Amino acid sequence: MFNLIVILALLQHAIPRTIAIDERLAADAHLAVGDRVLLSAIPESRTADTVIISAIVKRGTDPAEVARSEYRIRLHLDHLQSLAGYGDRVDRFAVATRGDAATAKALAEINSSAFGFEAHRSKDIAVGTSKTFQVVSRFHKAIGVITIVASAIFLLCIMLLKVEERRRDVAALRLIGISRKTVMRAVVIEAALLALVGSALGVGVGWAGSQFINWYYRGVYRTPLAFSIVTPSIVTLAVALSLVLGIAAGILASLRLVRTPPLVLFGR
Amino acid sequence: MPVALAWASLKRHGTRTLLAMLGVAVAAAMLLDMVMMSTGMRESFRNLLLSRGFQLRLAPKGTLPFDTDATMTNTSGIVRILRQNPDLTTISPVLGGTIHVLRGDSVITASALGLDPRIQGDYELLSGKDPLAPDEIAGNDEFMRATGARTGDTLAVASGYDPQTREYAGTRRLVLTGTIRFLYGASHQRGAAMRLATLQGMSGPDRSDASSLFMIRVRKGTDVEAAGRWIKERVFTVNVISTESALDQVDERLRYFRQLAVILGSVSLFVGFLLVTTLVTVSVNERIGEIAVMRAIGVSRAHVVQQIVLEGVAISLVGAFAGLLLGLVTGRYLNGILSSFPGLPEAIDFFLFQPKAAWTALGLLALSGIAAGVYPSFRASSLPIATTLRQEAIA
Repeated sequence: MFNLIVILALLQHAIPRTIAIDERLAADAHLAVGDRVLLSAIPESRTADTVIISAIVKRGTDPAEVARSEYRIRLHLDHLQSLAGYGDRVDRFAVATRGDAATAKALAEINSSAFGFEAHRSKDIAVGTSKTFQVVSRFHKAIGVITIVASAIFLLCIMLLKVEERRRDVAALRLIGISRKTVMRAVVIEAALLALVGSALGVGVGWAGSQFINWYYRGVYRTPLAFSIVTPSIVTLAVALSLVLGIAAGILASLRLVRTPPLVLFGR
Repeated sequence: MPVALAWASLKRHGTRTLLAMLGVAVAAAMLLDMVMMSTGMRESFRNLLLSRGFQLRLAPKGTLPFDTDATMTNTSGIVRILRQNPDLTTISPVLGGTIHVLRGDSVITASALGLDPRIQGDYELLSGKDPLAPDEIAGNDEFMRATGARTGDTLAVASGYDPQTREYAGTRRLVLTGTIRFLYGASHQRGAAMRLATLQGMSGPDRSDASSLFMIRVRKGTDVEAAGRWIKERVFTVNVISTESALDQVDERLRYFRQLAVILGSVSLFVGFLLVTTLVTVSVNERIGEIAVMRAIGVSRAHVVQQIVLEGVAISLVGAFAGLLLGLVTGRYLNGILSSFPGLPEAIDFFLFQPKAAWTALGLLALSGIAAGVYPSFRASSLPIATTLRQEAIA
């Protein structure tokens, strides 16, 4: 019996350990499941472990990793500890709880005891690590505001031109007795329709752009992360903003027109 | 005459012209910002890297300087190898770590660099003197504020904290010699510098001969890339990073912003172009009778074309000049947002103003102004005079 255990132990020692590598490394180094590779903690080390690749894993969708070109390898904990000379140490524990109340209780208990480490909620860590993306988000919002200002001016200009083009039509309408209010309403409805059709087209272009951005950056960074998402709230905001701007531009442009006497509009 | 006619035409529809100029100004501001962003990051980073004349950096293999906590062991051995090359004139090993200033019951944590203060390229001295002795330390403004210490004070400083045992690997009493400013430090980051051996000694046996980075100056006239290759062939545990390769790495990481700059810059230019084209086209359509009369009384096609192109260029240029000023203001604001990236060196500017950027934006807008006038001027100059006059008379 003792001999059998020793033989099994020796056999186990002789069988290489297994690792999982990420798809990026697999593609770049032309590695496949079943390949044997040498693994060491120190570059060019002569005491490397021979290991077998047992799995190729997809990269996570962590935005913090997106611009990092490093490769990822997954090892059994004890294997990495011995390879890195880390002893019985770990960097962190992930703990699942039975709900919010249990999380709060576990946090309080762990942090009040003298274990020598601190517990954090996953969402707090997420907030801490997503600061970069908060900055990017603020930057995008600022760019968005500039774009809205430019669009507003553009829309106002176009509306003004469209209304000016109709000076004679409006003059004729006014001379046959159509009220200022009706003329204004017609111009504003036209502006609103223009803004609505424009924003519908814009949503289409934006959706196509979003698909392209995701396709392009997923290829560049080799990640399944979604870089651009068109949500119903974004569409609603864009259409509403466009409508408000269109109607405002229509009102401003039509006001100019209805305040001018019909004969002046005719150029007389 | 074309100038006077173009001016009269623009003046006739003042509101419209003003709005168009405003639209072009916003587009120009965006364009300038994007041109500044596409070139500014790289230039700003290059200036920072070369600010102290170190052309090569060595980081632990597979990493960028201070990108991870990884260190290089056998620092003294690496220095010995590097000194064999006479072209490597200055070799400055640097160790990064965390220190804890013990003040009564409270502990103030800061990042620290261990280096050779005589040849370092990581900080500039603001007041006092460099921490040349083994029991000396210098801190930045944030460090001084957090510790409440002044030059000349003695601080109890510890490093190598083990959370399991709640003990430090080493504690020293260090004299604060001066105030410094880290060149690569993030804003609001507490930092201190001391001699390399001091930090190594405090950080425990694992780091007694460790370093995080080597900064190397190469003799003037020497091929930096060749010097890098020489190191690569002899020291296998390091990543050799020249200024150019560091810039390439930064480019890779910040590629998104460059691409965003190109896309938004192009969109801005297109919007500006579209706005001017629309305006000039509508303006020509309104004056079709006038143009036909001008042609009938002998005004040449070239004059008509000139006048219409001038209108487009005038709107574009006036808008562009206003936009350049606006762009500087918005660029400063956007730079303020992006500068708050966690861990980004304070000295990095995303929107770096360079005269070349302004000229590029201005040139592109002038070209778009000329292009905007092409279609309407072609239409105006090729009008059938008699037919147009008849149609206008009937209308």
